[in-house]
Amino acid sequence: MLTRSELTRLCRARDMLRETVEEPLSIRDVAREAAISPFHFIRRFQAVFGETPHQFRIQARLERAKHLLALSDYSVTDVCMEVGFESLGSFSDLFARRVGVAPSVYRRQIRSIVSVPEMLPRALYPGCLTLMGAAFAIFEKQQRAAAGRLRS
Amino acid sequence: MRIKLTSIMVDDQSKALKFYTEVFGFVKKHEIPVGEYRWLTVVSPEGPDDLELSLEPNANPAGKTFQEAMFKQGIPITAFEVEDLAADFKRLKGLGVVFTQEPTQAGPVTIAVCADTCGNLVQLYQRRRP
Repeated sequence: MLTRSELTRLCRARDMLRETVEEPLSIRDVAREAAISPFHFIRRFQAVFGETPHQFRIQARLERAKHLLALSDYSVTDVCMEVGFESLGSFSDLFARRVGVAPSVYRRQIRSIVSVPEMLPRALYPGCLTLMGAAFAIFEKQQRAAAGRLRS
Repeated sequence: MRIKLTSIMVDDQSKALKFYTEVFGFVKKHEIPVGEYRWLTVVSPEGPDDLELSLEPNANPAGKTFQEAMFKQGIPITAFEVEDLAADFKRLKGLGVVFTQEPTQAGPVTIAVCADTCGNLVQLYQRRRP
């Protein structure tokens, strides 16, 4: 069972993992700060949030990188450092693997669809219901193509 | 007007698909890539196959704030009905699911609450048999 107090401590640990500070705490120190036994921390965090503290921290950094690429004037190198990665190469590789395109390409794509400066581009934050139109259009196109193949 | 579709915000669609199918036992209905995300829905094998639950990407900071606040307060974001809560509780615990509330009688229903690994607490409930 996850007690109320443990739930609160895990949420606090999650907040700490998301923080961007000059010298980020080690996973062990995050556990200690949140008053959770370091021995149980990783296993418990994963059971509740579906990923390890380390995986969560990396994902949070990538999310922040996406925002900075979309909205700030930082160079890709500055974004990399700002979100807490030490090597541009590993940042770019990881970004490309998770997001599908390199950071510079992501910036170009996302900026081409920002209609109002300083506004968050909607493509960054789709709601499922805003995906519905595009998804159904793709689905119908696939069905038509399949029906076409059957006829030919 | 009909209710055919509802949604739950998830912090990662891949993780969610795995949990909602392999752990909760729902069945994938649609998975259509749309840009970086997917139109992703599941149905219950015990219910009508056109009553879909969309696993909605929770990328919007406003959604995240809401989801995290509800989680921190221990409040479930949705509820699913089960036939035999004691059996499901045991099965899910065996799969590593973390519960914040064990099966508890609450009037005519028994309820339990668990984490869905995607940022939500979900309530499972069994109605008293007539």
